[in-house]
Amino acid sequence: MTSATVSRIEAGPQPALENCYHCGESVPAGTHLSLHIDGQERAMCCPGCRAVAQLICDNDLAHFYQQRTAYNDRPTSEQGNTDDYRIYDDPEVLKTFSEANANGEQVAYFLLGGVTCAACTWLIEHSLNRCAGVISACVNLQQSKLSVCFQPEHIQVRQIFSEVRALGYQVRPFQQHAQREQLARENRDELRRLGVAGLGMMQVGMFAIALHAGDLQGIDHNHQGLLRWTSLLVASFVVLYASRPFFINAWRHALRRTLVMDLPVSLAIGLAWLASVFATLTGSGQVYFDSVVMFTFFLLLGRFLERKARLDQDTGWLQAQDALPDAVSVRKGNHWATLPRTDVAVGDQILIAAGDAVPIDALVSKGRSAVREDAFNGEHQPRTVAEGDTVFAGTINIESSLQARVLCTYRDSRLAELQRSIDRGQAHKPALVRLADRVASWFIAAILLISMITWLIWHQLAPEQAFWITLSVLVISCPCALALATPAALASAAGALRRRGIIIRTEDALESLSQSRHIIFDKTGTLTKAELAIDRVVTLGNCPERQVLAIAAALQAHSRHPISKAFKSLTMANGVDQVHYNVGAGLQGKQGNKTYRMGSESFCRVLAPNLPPAPSTDLYWVALCGDRQPLAWIGLCDKLRPEATDTVRQSIADGFSVELLTGDSSGNGALLAHNLGLHHYACGLSPEQKMAHVKALQQSGTVVTMVGDGLNDAPVLSLADVSFAVADAADLARAQADFVLYGDDLNLIHVAHEKARQCRRVMRQNISWALTYNACAIPLAAMGFVPPWLAAVGMSASSLFVVLNSLRLNRENNSGAGQVDHG
Amino acid sequence: MDSLYLLVPIAMAFCAITIKLLLWAINNGQYDDMDKEAWRILAEDEFSSQSEESDSQRESF
Repeated sequence: MTSATVSRIEAGPQPALENCYHCGESVPAGTHLSLHIDGQERAMCCPGCRAVAQLICDNDLAHFYQQRTAYNDRPTSEQGNTDDYRIYDDPEVLKTFSEANANGEQVAYFLLGGVTCAACTWLIEHSLNRCAGVISACVNLQQSKLSVCFQPEHIQVRQIFSEVRALGYQVRPFQQHAQREQLARENRDELRRLGVAGLGMMQVGMFAIALHAGDLQGIDHNHQGLLRWTSLLVASFVVLYASRPFFINAWRHALRRTLVMDLPVSLAIGLAWLASVFATLTGSGQVYFDSVVMFTFFLLLGRFLERKARLDQDTGWLQAQDALPDAVSVRKGNHWATLPRTDVAVGDQILIAAGDAVPIDALVSKGRSAVREDAFNGEHQPRTVAEGDTVFAGTINIESSLQARVLCTYRDSRLAELQRSIDRGQAHKPALVRLADRVASWFIAAILLISMITWLIWHQLAPEQAFWITLSVLVISCPCALALATPAALASAAGALRRRGIIIRTEDALESLSQSRHIIFDKTGTLTKAELAIDRVVTLGNCPERQVLAIAAALQAHSRHPISKAFKSLTMANGVDQVHYNVGAGLQGKQGNKTYRMGSESFCRVLAPNLPPAPSTDLYWVALCGDRQPLAWIGLCDKLRPEATDTVRQSIADGFSVELLTGDSSGNGALLAHNLGLHHYACGLSPEQKMAHVKALQQSGTVVTMVGDGLNDAPVLSLADVSFAVADAADLARAQADFVLYGDDLNLIHVAHEKARQCRRVMRQNISWALTYNACAIPLAAMGFVPPWLAAVGMSASSLFVVLNSLRLNRENNSGAGQVDHG
Repeated sequence: MDSLYLLVPIAMAFCAITIKLLLWAINNGQYDDMDKEAWRILAEDEFSSQSEESDSQRESF
């Protein structure tokens, strides 16, 4: 998702002819849908987009299109049907995501999907506010959370669901989640601290100017006292309130005998504050309240910005079971009752409609269909199931409805096991020793040593000055620039990558990436597009290829099987009707009095016994035949992404050793590796085996980068030191990845790597600058040459330098990106 | 310069009120969604005036 900072898209004034006005995807050849919006005819790619756009226009909300800053997501399936959401009207279910307020109204919370920009929030809020019975609707864009206050006697919650669904957004109940709430609380805490530090800085700064001026031109002792006491008051509040996390963090790490940047930070803040308090009480020496408060503010600001850049669109709380349907049809006596998923018991008979996700591991008792199990093996080709086969929670039933007997509870299902693997992966992810923390440890030692020497020497020379000079050494050495060096660089780099379509989700991702030398790619969906395309047509009769494909397209238009997508863009033959779909076998249809069959070899042989066997290459072959007349073998394959070869080559050039790990056990993996020139590959791996492989690499000291897309990649993405999820990855895979590539281009990996290395360079520069500054200033302070105002100016200047240097990362760099400059 | 004894406490009082207000606003959730509000403040005018117009038109029928 792109944020409001992205410039307005070009859809308004000059609609690209071949792109859908609603979702921005290219309009398939042969589709002629359009809609009159804002005085112009706008092309639409599919009936779904058209329906949504129509609804928006009908409600006088067309203005939305000029205001949005990103295209909408393409609506996934047919329009929201209120019946689908009937389950949520159940008071017990409703209670899990809503609460009653004092006025007898109900406040329900929903989690939205596909909210791409701020204008979407406007669209949803306005549409809902017009519904009778809705008191107020409010979308939180950062959390993708919709809160609706409504009167239960006037509107039912399922109507709210279908209203939002009809606008083309996905919607599901917003379940309370500890991690998510914790994050929201932390956000508020940080903002409060930042605000208090900022306001305090202005006040103390004002008094500090008077005090510094007083130092230069003389000041009445009483006035100085007043200003010092007021500063003391404000600064103490800021130190106790806003700087607390630094102290807590430093203390926590100190207990574990690890040194982090927060330790010198806390030392500097604490000592400078204590000394200033002492100076104020005794009316002697110097006060450093302004430095203390300013230091706190800038540090908090740097960290706040870095965190905000990272946590926008956070999905870390996503769980595997979120993708499962909330409502399940269960057999009760002679009819089917709809129950909440959590109420389904072992042994119940359930009904899984075509197109639905399987809610729970179950044994098929009636029906025949195909299930897509990419959650477990990453493959998009379905497995045919019939009576006696087991279907697993989280897989998708594609072809026709199934009746099945529930085998276990969610806790014992294969999907729950996957979720546990993810949690294990997170726990075992190796910790990175950050550059800043490494510097911090010997920085502290050096400062303490120098202070001690200073004190000893001055104690010999002039005992009455020893204390104040030692203190000024400590204040001068305040690691402000050093502490800002990393967050400033990281925030800046994150901003730049975001504009290129790369979202960074974890704190250490950039540092880890710059150190990684080993990259692992998943096959299906990552290097390939995960959809079948026609590769070869072998005609068997004298029917020309074009006619064969036209008949095939007309037949496939009636199929839900994934291979039908390959025929979608072809021109269909006219007059093909009475198409009948045989689950697990193929399609049969009639054109005039001619019968055609398309599908498996045995299915077609019934009609044309003289059908030769499929040409033996590693393609997915489908036969087409007429009455006693084989027409063609059509070979399909999962096409490589166009940029995949480049990406692999570029990764090798960047110094990575490249490896391919795939869950696909057919020969395709080896073939692909061979085509890409990869020597290291492994096929047919389960998620657990992939994890074991990565863990072994990590134990040998390798920093591993993993690129993946599927639910089955989620555990290994969570374990790898650095992980990328591609654009259309499963939600859970995105939630585990350190980087999400929203721009649909694998070359972005190179861009991210380049930026990570650049970021590390800038961090090193920042740190060396901060250390150089300290190395020059400390001897001067130790000799007693630096008055406090100069110390304050010097400190601010060095921090400013660090921030400005970091901002260079935010620029588009064409030199670094080299010849690969997509985006 | 004795006015300082009055003016500095007044400044502090204002500062205290500002901090109080800020904390109230944050606790009240007004800063929870900075992306949306940043956009809305710029867009709402032309946006809402148009839709309110059409609302009122509809009501008048």
